[in-house]
Amino acid sequence: MARQNEKIVQTRLGKQVVSMDKIIYFPRGLMGFEDKHEFTLLQLKEGSPFLVLQSLDDPRLGLLVADPYSFLEDYPIRVSEAEQKLLRLENIRQVAVLVTVSIPKGEPEKTALNLTGPILINHKARLGLQVPQVDGKFPNQVYLHMPQE
Amino acid sequence: MLILTRRPGESLHLGDNIKITVLSVQGKQIKIGLEVPGDMTVYREEVYLRVKEQNRLALETSDADLLAATQLWQGKTKK
Repeated sequence: MARQNEKIVQTRLGKQVVSMDKIIYFPRGLMGFEDKHEFTLLQLKEGSPFLVLQSLDDPRLGLLVADPYSFLEDYPIRVSEAEQKLLRLENIRQVAVLVTVSIPKGEPEKTALNLTGPILINHKARLGLQVPQVDGKFPNQVYLHMPQE
Repeated sequence: MLILTRRPGESLHLGDNIKITVLSVQGKQIKIGLEVPGDMTVYREEVYLRVKEQNRLALETSDADLLAATQLWQGKTKK
């Protein structure tokens, strides 16, 4: 265990050891949190579709996120040329897509996927970018309790 | 705020590499053409604000609800 390859960070899930190669750099931060650039993904539970996108600088800044394709058949996203450049994408297949998830207080059955601002991650370059969708072809939010058949 | 008046077809230059052109005015709608550097993103303000709000909501999840949701949806995914 090479110590310089790891970083101990305070997260909303408690103290965690983050390996340096799990750090994702967000050149633009996240919308509303433009000054935070380093994040990592924390798994909540083995096999859970939910993750926490945790800032390395601010323990309170941990957003609940999920892989939308675990829940939705269809969620086409549009990535502009400028955004592809920022993500240094050579190929759109390099990218992983996450969406933020909201759970109203005390109502986990009203868990919703937020579809307006997917977060794209270039695994290879370890770069992340939030990419607002303007198409309006899909709703801003979908509740997970709705039948998806 | 700097306020300028432009007619359709007239442009503004912001710095060296941003050009904004008023293309047409129809009633309450103004069509604007933007020439911006390739790495510059342009978003409508309402979209930006919506994403910001959704980020805030994703933060406000309490740890208890987070756990509950994890349990609720475990095994309900398609995988």
